[in-house]
Amino acid sequence: MLEGAEFYFNVDHGYLEGLVRGCKASLLTQQDYLNLVQCETLEDVKIHLQTTDYGNFLANQTNPLTVSKIDTEMRKKLCREFEYFRNHSLEPLSTFFTYMTCSYMIDNVILLMNGALQKKPVKEILAKCHPLGRFTEMEAVNIAETPSDLFKAVLVETPLAPFFQDCMSENTLDELNIELLRNKLYKSYLEAFYKFCKNHGDVTAEIMCPILEFEADRRAFIITLNSFGTELSKDDRETLYPTCGKLYPEGLRLLAQAEDFDQMRRVADHYGVYKPLFEAVGDGSGGKTLEDVFYEREVQMNVLAFNRQFHYGVFYAYTKLKEQEMRNIVWIAECISQRHRTKINSYIPIL
Amino acid sequence: MGSMFRGEEVALVQFFLPTAAAYTCVSQLGELGLTEFRDLNASVSAFQRRFVGDVRRCEELEKTFTFLQEEVRRAGLVLPPPEGRLLAPPPRDLLRIQEETDRLAQELRDVRGNQQSLRAQLHQLQLHSAVLGQGHHLPLAAAPTDGLLERSPLLQPPGGPHRDLRVNFVAGAVKPTKAAALERLLWRACRGFLVASFRETEQQLEDPVTGEPATWMTFLISYWGEQIGQKIRKITDCFHCHVFPFVEQEEGRLGTLQQLQQQSLELQEVLGETERFLSQVLGRVQQLLPPWQVQIRKMKAVYLVLNQCSVSATHKCLIAEGWCASSDLPTLQQVLQGSSSEAGVSAVVHRIPCRDMPPTLIRTNRFTASFQGIVDAYGVGRYQEVNPAPYTIITFPFLFAVMFGDVGHGLLMFLFALAMVLAENRPAVKAAQNEIWRTFFSGRYLLLLMGLFSVYTGFIYNECFSRATTIFPSGWSVAAMATQSGWSDAFLAEHPLLTLDPAVGGVFLGPYPFGIDPVWSLAVNHLSFLNSFKMKMSIILGVTHMTFGVVLGVFNHVHFGQWHRLFLETLPELIFLLGLFGYLVFLVIYKWLSVSAAGAAAAPSILIHFINMFLFSRSPTNQPLFPGQEDDKAGILDASDASVAGWGSDEEKAGCPGNGEEAEFVLSEVLMHQAIHTIEFCLGCISNTASYLRLWALSLAHAQLSEVLWAMVMRVGLRMGRELGVAAVVLVPIFAAFAGLTVAILLVMEGLSAFLHALRLHWVEFQNKFYLGSGYKLSPFTFAEED
Repeated sequence: MLEGAEFYFNVDHGYLEGLVRGCKASLLTQQDYLNLVQCETLEDVKIHLQTTDYGNFLANQTNPLTVSKIDTEMRKKLCREFEYFRNHSLEPLSTFFTYMTCSYMIDNVILLMNGALQKKPVKEILAKCHPLGRFTEMEAVNIAETPSDLFKAVLVETPLAPFFQDCMSENTLDELNIELLRNKLYKSYLEAFYKFCKNHGDVTAEIMCPILEFEADRRAFIITLNSFGTELSKDDRETLYPTCGKLYPEGLRLLAQAEDFDQMRRVADHYGVYKPLFEAVGDGSGGKTLEDVFYEREVQMNVLAFNRQFHYGVFYAYTKLKEQEMRNIVWIAECISQRHRTKINSYIPIL
Repeated sequence: MGSMFRGEEVALVQFFLPTAAAYTCVSQLGELGLTEFRDLNASVSAFQRRFVGDVRRCEELEKTFTFLQEEVRRAGLVLPPPEGRLLAPPPRDLLRIQEETDRLAQELRDVRGNQQSLRAQLHQLQLHSAVLGQGHHLPLAAAPTDGLLERSPLLQPPGGPHRDLRVNFVAGAVKPTKAAALERLLWRACRGFLVASFRETEQQLEDPVTGEPATWMTFLISYWGEQIGQKIRKITDCFHCHVFPFVEQEEGRLGTLQQLQQQSLELQEVLGETERFLSQVLGRVQQLLPPWQVQIRKMKAVYLVLNQCSVSATHKCLIAEGWCASSDLPTLQQVLQGSSSEAGVSAVVHRIPCRDMPPTLIRTNRFTASFQGIVDAYGVGRYQEVNPAPYTIITFPFLFAVMFGDVGHGLLMFLFALAMVLAENRPAVKAAQNEIWRTFFSGRYLLLLMGLFSVYTGFIYNECFSRATTIFPSGWSVAAMATQSGWSDAFLAEHPLLTLDPAVGGVFLGPYPFGIDPVWSLAVNHLSFLNSFKMKMSIILGVTHMTFGVVLGVFNHVHFGQWHRLFLETLPELIFLLGLFGYLVFLVIYKWLSVSAAGAAAAPSILIHFINMFLFSRSPTNQPLFPGQEDDKAGILDASDASVAGWGSDEEKAGCPGNGEEAEFVLSEVLMHQAIHTIEFCLGCISNTASYLRLWALSLAHAQLSEVLWAMVMRVGLRMGRELGVAAVVLVPIFAAFAGLTVAILLVMEGLSAFLHALRLHWVEFQNKFYLGSGYKLSPFTFAEED
């Protein structure tokens, strides 16, 4: 696209940007959360959500109301909005949307393969799949036995196909291999998405690249954290790190060598962005977990994305914020339904 | 009409409702629709209120109603509107209604479920027979080598181990949209080990869920090997295919086919029986549902109001607050007594003092509603402010008509509106849903008056479809002019344009009795004559209209007891407005009366006089209109200036006690505010007066446009053929075009534009003289349906 896309942005994407900003205004406010936390039962949660933009999305649910019903309906609502955006989008925004769905597709594929491994019925797992990552061939995933099988038979026609170049192998799909596959797919997905945004240039690159860099680094940290005490070798670990983040290349090399959380923290200390995050992490007894800290940082970045105009980042940011909001509601609803109110306040506030 | 002058007196009232009778009382109040309740529990969130359980039960019930309604709609039936007056049911009836609804819903669900499963079975059977009857030839079984090569060249029958393997079949049906993807996936996943043939069904099958007819793709897959078979089964599962057992032998298949047809016949019979039963249940729903829906909606509304009440200290009664017109208080008292008599303790309502500004209540009828609507669209009046609507009833159609003056067009509009007014009680007209039509219909009385006034101004302008009419004999005599100046035939032949001189005796006999003399329509200076007339008329109407607005302000000041504003605001305003523009109007009228045809050549120019007045200068060529005019001018200007100065300075001083009561008094802000107000009014007077010139401009535009339409369309047609036959044939389409354009351009388009300008003149030029429009409407709690 030409320099100064501001001039032309609204011709193609102005309507959708307006729409997404309107949707963003409908996110729950601090006051809403305060009210939700006070609820005694799930019915109360429902009544309160009715006064927000969720409206009577639970009106046709039969009793008793459960957390998973709320979750499903919220996801459906997000999915409807997303589908609307997607159906009304023009290139290159529609490619951008496709990239956005890819992460959900990867999760769904992995979920299904894990299910197949544990011999669970497909129907049961399908219900757990994220609706944003749905595609026709999805259910056929379990016929594949090796990654290359999976690629050749099932995924070659889906947008996931390009990400498979690094993970073609004839290994049978056991639990570890599936996890490796997920991370490799994610790595090439993130790198491809990063490249797409970078090439697109303009404000989109300025907004999306930091968000994706953060996403990549977060994955690197989380992979490191989860690999402690597993049979994953350090070399293998390094191949899983997405290389489009701020940590690349030095930080990733150091991370690959890390053996416990403190070493990881020392790596993060070299980076001004991540140092405060690790400092905010509480020790084992209480306080925030690393994941929560990352979520908070993500929310912050996504909210800031709305401060600029004429870019695609708002769509990404909106979807992520909405997801966070859904996680919050589910968290609160879980706390209420399990009568476990002590931790009810540890949702991630959306500023 | 008296209540139209300003909003009714509205009081804040407090209700003490005994707990036992609270529900009945509120439901009665809802039937009356006179009170607007205030939320006394604004700080309590929705789910912590007192009657939230009842509201939830109502909602639960409404959910079931939605289900029933959806079922009725799906069956292609309509719910009849409920008949008679349905009161909110007593709370104990809720249980009964709930039980009956649940029973009905359960019954309906069962029957519907039965029907669904029967339909699904039938669909399955039909699909099966379609698959079998499709006649897929069996390429592998019949000729394993020949048939294949075309479909799947990759498969080279090796003649080796594969020959011994048994060929198996999978047959089924899939939705056509998915067929291509299925075929590709099959090919990719099990290439070489299967042959698939796809074919579309010939007849369409009814979808068991939606009931819509749809075609299906049937397929027959033949494959080698058990593993491949499992894969294929998984893939077909994933595409939600219907898979059926496939018998290889032709005879076996035919037998199954017959069996299937037999089964589906039986099934259809059962299905018919079920559907009959279903329609019975639906009939019951149709009968019972509409009254229930109304009742439960009322019940929920009552509980929502009760949720806004606070509980008294002794828990014996609920306390509600609300706005209500003072004149309705006795009615309220009576109703409350009546509805709480059963409970033993009677409900009480009494006024309480309040500092908040009460809402505005102006009762309208179907005639005044549209005019009130015009005013409310600008802003609902402050409490008890003078309401401009009663004057709008006359001034709005009049100002519109000044811009739309044409007898013919006005008559058409009048007749259209009259037709709507006469038909207003017909149900078909009332029920019309078209939005544009509803807009016109709700403004029918407005249109009626607009049409009527346009006929009147049309007569004044003497225009009917742009043609002048000669009702009275013209006041000008050409014959007199001809004899007096001795025009010869030769003179007449040479001069196409002749001048009628009113100064010559006998030529101008006297003014035309009503409106513009028709002789002007023949004159070449028609336009300059009309322009001068319409411009002055606009100024006169405008100044009158604005002065009227300023005078209306007096009633506001008197009513609110702000006497200082009367002398320090209205008086200077009047002096300024009348001193400058009232004087202008006076000059115009004086000149009309005093200057005769004889002295026309030396008539003084008002324009120069007026400009000189501001510049404090004189021009020797421009004679005064009347002796002593120069002195008067200076005096008026001095008075106006003095009034502006005095008003600007005194206003703030007087403003101190008035404003000091509530808000913190900041002198600089009040000074600034008043200075701005003063400047705004002074500048506004000039620009508003100029704004009234739009009356002239639009009426000119309208006259010219209809003139052009006549000249370019109708006159062309009339000139076309002299013979009777030609004229008749030509005139039909020409007249059609003329009529169509008249309606589309002159009536609709010009009408809308004149409407818009009349609207602006009222909202801006008229109402800003006295109307604040900063109030809010009383929206009573009522069960009545909105129109």
